[in-house]
Amino acid sequence: MDFSFPKEYQLFRRMVREFVENEVKPLAMVIDREHRVPHETIKKAAALGLMGVPFPAKYGGMGGGEMGYCILMEELGKVDSSTGTVIGAHIGIGAMAIYLDGTEEQKQKFLVPLAQGTAIAAFGLTEAQAGSDAAAIKTTAVRDGDDFVLNGAKVFITNGDIADIITVMAVTDPALGAYGGITAFIVETDSPGFSIGSLENKMGIRGSSTAECVFQDVRVPKENVLGQFGAGFLTFMKTLDIGRASLGAATLGGAEAAMEASIQWARAREQFGVPIATKQSVHFMIADMAVEIEALRSLIYRTAWLIDTGQPHILEASACKLFGSEVAHRCIDRAMQIHGALGYSRDHFIELGWRDQRISEIYEGTNEIQRIVIAANLFRPYGLRIPT
Amino acid sequence: MKIIVPIKQILDPSGVTVRRDKERIFINKEAYILEAGSKAAIEAALQVRDVDGGEHEIVAVSLGEPRADDALREALAMGCDEAYLLTDEAFQDADISVTTAVLAAAIEKLGGADLVIAGQASADTGSGQVGARLAEALGYACVTAVYELAQEAGGLQATRRWGTGYARVQVSLPAVVTVAPEAFPPRYAHGARIMDAYRKWEVTIWDASDLELGTGALQPLLSFRRESFPAPLEVGEKFQGDPAEVARDVVTALRIQNLIA
Repeated sequence: MDFSFPKEYQLFRRMVREFVENEVKPLAMVIDREHRVPHETIKKAAALGLMGVPFPAKYGGMGGGEMGYCILMEELGKVDSSTGTVIGAHIGIGAMAIYLDGTEEQKQKFLVPLAQGTAIAAFGLTEAQAGSDAAAIKTTAVRDGDDFVLNGAKVFITNGDIADIITVMAVTDPALGAYGGITAFIVETDSPGFSIGSLENKMGIRGSSTAECVFQDVRVPKENVLGQFGAGFLTFMKTLDIGRASLGAATLGGAEAAMEASIQWARAREQFGVPIATKQSVHFMIADMAVEIEALRSLIYRTAWLIDTGQPHILEASACKLFGSEVAHRCIDRAMQIHGALGYSRDHFIELGWRDQRISEIYEGTNEIQRIVIAANLFRPYGLRIPT
Repeated sequence: MKIIVPIKQILDPSGVTVRRDKERIFINKEAYILEAGSKAAIEAALQVRDVDGGEHEIVAVSLGEPRADDALREALAMGCDEAYLLTDEAFQDADISVTTAVLAAAIEKLGGADLVIAGQASADTGSGQVGARLAEALGYACVTAVYELAQEAGGLQATRRWGTGYARVQVSLPAVVTVAPEAFPPRYAHGARIMDAYRKWEVTIWDASDLELGTGALQPLLSFRRESFPAPLEVGEKFQGDPAEVARDVVTALRIQNLIA
């Protein structure tokens, strides 16, 4: 067993780290205040291939696979969760759905510009009454000649208002339910009838927009059916399964940054005439962070390896998201405790990290859903089917 | 134009602690990186190509341990076309004269260069001699500590440090140019090129026999005795007192140093 990263990934990580340290980290507080990730940052990332890290070169991607993508998300997670969320939703779910189930023509037409970063993707699943219960969606797609006509509204769509292309799940036959009655579509957001409703005013990841996307008689050509007609639910679930590994990678970065900040602050902060780094209460908190981070790092990159080598990964990817978000929660919370009132200040990045972290336990399948996914995978060999 | 860039891999300074009190350097984490001055030299070469979009061939060469392969692959990732690793046990104790002889032999074997661009001085040993000695060995023109570089008819125009100011000089080709690192902040390598640098592209390895170097050329003139610490630098001058007076004093001091007009 060799646990070292292949050399190309070591060099890639160094490049990404320099990039995020210089181009993203200095903007984190401004991004939070102004509620937007500068377009210029996305353009710079695109120029280095970072908007298409996992995809093969023939689709305009960087050829880095899930391993490369997890490295990108980990390094972004260390410096700014808003930027990580914009790029993560674009690559990890929006474009990923097209990569996994798109036809060769669809990949050339849509995935290439997405991977090159000249177009931005979003993923349209959640609705007012359908989130964890993804099969309960109400958006409909009705065949009309060579087109499908979409009606309905998606909510909490990351990148919704900046996306050029949205992969959308809609009901095509209500009688057939989740398996057979739901189809995935590739929708170009300049289509007539597509509009943005309200934008969420969130606690954290405030630089990443979360939009309501309204479809009013939006005509989508039949060539834009993504995957098999009626099998959209499977396309979306498969996409989410993979996406969870890289979400975990982002939380790993957040946890690492929290620990590093804690170590540095504990060395600098003096109380009772000595640095608080000499206090056992601080040792215990930092040691607990280190152990959980080590375990998480092993889980993330082993799961990336499973994905890159085409092995089953659903349980492990779910564990990445579940464990990662909870480790990040505990780490940023301990980091705030070590920083004291300073870390609670609106002007301190620990406060920003604390607010940014919380969503990772909720989005792309709540942690409760992750536990169900994991349990379902454990019971399935015994013939017990738990719907996820 | 053929541009050859000699590069150097060094111990990553971020993994090193300097303990002045113990007169020792501790290596906490042994990691090696492409030295910043070398990166600036690669950047300067790439900029020559960017400016006119011409068919310039950019070749990176490095004298070092086999691990310098990584530095050369980073050079490929940044945009170099070819990479050569000059490595041999006989190079192990190379001082500046041996380094120069090996690099010059490699450049000759590559058919010479129109332009050699190197860092001004490496971040570890920092002698700043290799560029000038290389020019002497190859019989090329030489300009050091260059801040700006542009091609012009029959050669180059270079802006270099000159006392407390700058001088613009014309250089005929072939030439060796060493660049000031702060003047050529290196680009980030494209992710796809990083993957290709390890998966697709090759680094050619040459040893002493490939370079037809006999033992005479490989005999160092210098030998290592011991290392010691230089005296601590007296950093700056402190001005205290009434703000208006302090401001006047600072301006006067800067004028005396010829740092402002």
